[in-house]
Amino acid sequence: MNQDDYLKELTRLLRKLPKGERDDVVSDYHEHFIIGIEKGRSEEEIAKALGNPKTVAKQINAEYMVRKAEDKQSAGSIFEAILAAAGLGIFNLIFVAVPALIVVALILTLFAVGGVMIFGGILITLSYMFQPLIPFHLNLPPNQGILGIFEGILIGVGLTILGVGLVGGMAYLTRWLYGLAIRYLKYNIRLIEGRKGTKKS
Amino acid sequence: MYTVSDTMNTQFKKGVLELCVLVLLDRKDCYGYEMVEEISRNIFISEGTIYPLLKRLKTEGLVISYLKESQDGPPRKYYQITEFGKEKKEKLVAEWNEFAMGVSNLLYNRNVDMEGNCDESG
Repeated sequence: MNQDDYLKELTRLLRKLPKGERDDVVSDYHEHFIIGIEKGRSEEEIAKALGNPKTVAKQINAEYMVRKAEDKQSAGSIFEAILAAAGLGIFNLIFVAVPALIVVALILTLFAVGGVMIFGGILITLSYMFQPLIPFHLNLPPNQGILGIFEGILIGVGLTILGVGLVGGMAYLTRWLYGLAIRYLKYNIRLIEGRKGTKKS
Repeated sequence: MYTVSDTMNTQFKKGVLELCVLVLLDRKDCYGYEMVEEISRNIFISEGTIYPLLKRLKTEGLVISYLKESQDGPPRKYYQITEFGKEKKEKLVAEWNEFAMGVSNLLYNRNVDMEGNCDESG
């Protein structure tokens, strides 16, 4: 592989990076070739010593993806970051992705339950409120009298409040888990220094 | 001659590489190729791994880079260690010493502490 092939291959493998960042990386390798040639090494020799462009690109891509997932929080970007980090061969994809998917499914379920509680509660409240006006509405249990209606409204409002609490709690928990996932990926990308005391002072 | 085998775990070496780069930059500003040459004299590395590392060190604020004219050819990208980088280097060196001493104590069945006091056992 000569200089041209190497730099072209690297550029191709880094196509997911923004142009400015990609050019910056490729220019570093270009400089490496120039100096190496000045020192009397052949292009092939330098390319071989640099290592497979795939290995180089994987490392750069993984770090970029994790940084992106950190800046722009979304399910898609964290998944991309997990895939990129798994590509480094640091951890087994199945070992990480299966638990991650289970957690995501659990989160989505609890969000759905929260949503059902909120809307169900509102529906019950409204039904009881309008029960006196529309006697046969929704086949509600025949709670008689003003106390029964009051009780029904209370149950509906309570359910809604619980639902809001659940969704709020889940939103908080999701954020926390996201941060944890980012930390886990970073820790994996730089195993040694992640071992202890990496907090910026 | 390489003193560390090239079969050594690459993740492990990546951590050591960061330490080496910070130590070199603490002595003087260097360009990438210069550091690769210096490190390759002692440890086998894939030369290409140093640039992703330098990029990360830059993002983390441990080093900065600037362009400087060279006599022969286009300007080169030089790297300079920051105050934060120096702090990090001190910490990594201390960790490394502790680690290396622990391992060699284990390998050679010695008991040397960080002050160099030797307590031969066995």
